Amino acid sequence: MPATLARAPAAPRDYAACSGCNLCQLVCPMWRSHRDPRFTPAGMAKALQYGATAAWLAAPVEACSLCGACDPVCPEGIDLPGLVMDLRLQLANSLPSPNPALLDDLRARLQQGAAAPVVSRSAPLLLPGADLRADAALLARVQALLGLAIADDDGADIALALELGVEIPQHRLQQFLASLNGHSIVAADGLLLRQLRRWLPGSQRMGLGAALSSRPAVRSNLLATDLYVIEARGYHADYERMVAYYDRLQLETGCALNLDLQRIAIPAVAQGLSQKLEVAPGDDGAQAKWILKGRRPARIVVESMADCAAFERVCDLPVVHLAELGEDPEMIKRRPHAFG
Amino acid sequence: MKIPPVEPGTVGPCPVAPDALQGIKRQQTNPARWNGAGWQDFVAELRASGVELAEGAAACGVYATDAGGTAYGQPHGVVLARSAGQVSLLLKAAQAHRVPVTVRGGGLTTEGESVAFGGVLLDMSGMSRVLGVDAAALTVRTEAGIYWHALAEELRRENLDYLSAPLNLTSSVGGTLGVGGIDVNSARLGCSADQAISLQVVTPTGEIVECSDSENAELFQRVIFGYGQFGVITEATLRVRPYTPLAMHYYYYSSLRTAIEDLQMLDRNDASDYSGILTIMDCAVNLLVAFDSDEREAAFRKNWESRLRGHGEFGFALCMAGHYALRPWKLGEALYLLQRKQAVFPEFRRPEYMRDGKMHDRTVVFSRAVWKHWGSRQMVIPDLATSADKFIEAVERGNAICRQYFTHYTLYCVGIKLRPEHKPHYEMSCVPPDAEGWAYGCEFEPMIEGGIYSRDHFQAFKNAIYDVGLDLGASYYRFGGMMKGYIRRVFGDALVDRHLAMKRRADPALILNRDVIF
Ligand SMILES: Cc1cc2nc3c(=O)[nH]c(=O)nc-3n(C[C@H](O)[C@H](O)[C@H](O)COP(=O)(O)OP(=O)(O)OC[C@H]3O[C@@H](n4cnc5c(N)ncnc54)[C@H](O)[C@@H]3O)c2cc1C
Ligand code: SF4
Ligand code: SF4
Repeated sequence: MPATLARAPAAPRDYAACSGCNLCQLVCPMWRSHRDPRFTPAGMAKALQYGATAAWLAAPVEACSLCGACDPVCPEGIDLPGLVMDLRLQLANSLPSPNPALLDDLRARLQQGAAAPVVSRSAPLLLPGADLRADAALLARVQALLGLAIADDDGADIALALELGVEIPQHRLQQFLASLNGHSIVAADGLLLRQLRRWLPGSQRMGLGAALSSRPAVRSNLLATDLYVIEARGYHADYERMVAYYDRLQLETGCALNLDLQRIAIPAVAQGLSQKLEVAPGDDGAQAKWILKGRRPARIVVESMADCAAFERVCDLPVVHLAELGEDPEMIKRRPHAFG
Repeated sequence: MKIPPVEPGTVGPCPVAPDALQGIKRQQTNPARWNGAGWQDFVAELRASGVELAEGAAACGVYATDAGGTAYGQPHGVVLARSAGQVSLLLKAAQAHRVPVTVRGGGLTTEGESVAFGGVLLDMSGMSRVLGVDAAALTVRTEAGIYWHALAEELRRENLDYLSAPLNLTSSVGGTLGVGGIDVNSARLGCSADQAISLQVVTPTGEIVECSDSENAELFQRVIFGYGQFGVITEATLRVRPYTPLAMHYYYYSSLRTAIEDLQMLDRNDASDYSGILTIMDCAVNLLVAFDSDEREAAFRKNWESRLRGHGEFGFALCMAGHYALRPWKLGEALYLLQRKQAVFPEFRRPEYMRDGKMHDRTVVFSRAVWKHWGSRQMVIPDLATSADKFIEAVERGNAICRQYFTHYTLYCVGIKLRPEHKPHYEMSCVPPDAEGWAYGCEFEPMIEGGIYSRDHFQAFKNAIYDVGLDLGASYYRFGGMMKGYIRRVFGDALVDRHLAMKRRADPALILNRDVIF
């Protein structure tokens, strides 16, 4: 069996510390859709305390979207998304997958590894991830705004493996981390960002949203009538810093944020394992609708491509990616409605 | 993270056997486990009627204890509440088969009242949707399993807020209406239970009844503050109010008595919108005062602030520095105070909750601090509720008991405005019978701080606090739950027997939340 380093070396405290306060339930999208305590981090932690195995918890472990919202609210400091990822690894090793072809392909990619990096040491790097790479024009815009080199190896396979509970061969992980060593990093994938925080604790890392929204060309185009949708995983991965960052952004621009009263980012999309494995229909829009409830923004500004699609499905408000907020005439042509 | 290597289907024996509570002396509340007679027939009938019931460790383990973490029990099965109709079917079958049903909202009791010692655990959190907000009439209709914080999230989208609720985010509306519910604005707005305008209740025999002060009033009176004895609250219509941020002020005292006198003076004169006391140590007592509007704050500054005998933070720090400079042997105490200040104070000033000097979302700020600094797997929170004039004595005596049992502890004191027209609701409740105008509650919360105490130690501590209440003719505002062993001694046989007779009529098989009160 290949050695694995799929998760943080050590969780702050494990499920045995759960006191059952249920604060995690309040923020959990899985709970919102099921309204069943078994589909909550507290439910999983408590069940484990009372002898449940990964197999018994398969349904919630698979339904979890790894949004990370439960992480910062837990007063006991339990690494709850880490717990879910751990359980997913166990499940993947013990139960047949509904989409073995996809997993086999991913395993092959992980074994194969990536090409050696060509970027010079210490230059800041952008890890665009699969979604952004798929939109060449937007990627070019992001690159122009941030002025960063795009990493040849952006760890998209590793991000997917984390999500699906696939073991990451140690050589692949080390290759990836070595390619990042010494660089400051901007990562579009929030889950990868979360893990990089643990894998490369001394490095400088930032989410794509925070990197873009700190650019004057972007920030100056945020309006008080905007609803700004923070990408949940990246935000929760670096919660203390991000709370302060977005609080300032909100003060400066007046835009509304997808934060709840606990200053937790409400994820716009909640996709569990089945959706990621492409064996169940996609997001049902419930989260995006909840974010919009009682709010009447003139425009929705998103940090993540997936969120863009989620809002476009549930409302007819203009939805624009943060990178499109610059004054690039090409972009204005592409989404004229978003620029009034 | 270690996942226990347990094979599916190999659950250990039930952790709660009839002898599991050995060693807990006299007034212990926790009952023996129900023996399971007729369980299979009951389950068969229930399933035939379409009610889903989950069994096994993965379903039941979640409910093994409550926030107190000292009473442990497991149900035979769990029903997740989905509708009044389904709850009705459950209770009808339970009556017929004499199967006990324990209702659980947030499970924040600390005496095991929401723990099932066998039978069915009815988890109300499955009924947690807001059904309608009437912004003009300032009311909300909600399913009763909703947590107060989830309700607040929905209300805020309409720029509204609830009136008052426990400072913990995860107690439920139904559980709180049945218990009382105290907030730092209760001295002005009353307790949470007084916010209810009407309720949908499923009676122990399965009837679905709407009740209020004008419709089925007797049921309403018994269900409010009723600890789930007379029915399951499935929906509630509550009063709400426009949301406002707060202007907070803190005053520091070295005397508990002086702080309480000032608290009561403020309450009597309607001088603030929020008021309460939180102690750090016996010689460091914090009176918090807050306002919903600039006008109220200005009136307080003009008329009342100068009458307070507490200090501001800086003045108090100077006093303390002087105090400890003269008592160097108390250095350990001074360091604890400093460490507490450094750990806790920033929680109340987090910039993301402050705008223009006002605190937003105070319940989040307070509750998160409560869970972070006071929460643990064991929480022992006995309390006393008295009339205004007995309160100082109750608190001072309770404080002395805390000192005897624990190194560090916190006291939380608030006033509760009573509504004379609700007198019938208050019968045999947390509201002491002799209270007029206001009742006062004090919660005594030891800091466990990773310490290991036996359950006997906790139990003896609670008994000592409750004994003060008995002595003073007080009640218990049910922060930590009213211990069954005290009910008769507090209220007397005549009143308890009258309520027991009502309970027997309403619940012939005594299935609903049995062993909590009677
Ligand atoms: C850390 C902490 C902080 C707290 N802070 C406060 C505070 O600030 N103010 C305060 O007043 N209290 C406070 N409490 C006490 C707690 O909030 C109350 O006990 C709480 O309101 C109970 O609500 P619950 O939903 O958790 O009820 P549960 O604990 O689930 O149940 C309480 C009782 O009501 C019954 N019940 C539950 N739901 C229903 C229903 N729908 N219909 C009928 N019966 C039902 C249960 O069987 C049980 O007997 C605190 C407790 C803790 C642990
Ligand atoms: S990561 Fe998100 S979906 Fe998963 S348990 Fe935590 S809050 Fe729920
Ligand atoms: S927030 Fe943490 S301690 Fe509280 S219930 Fe959830 S996992 Fe347990």
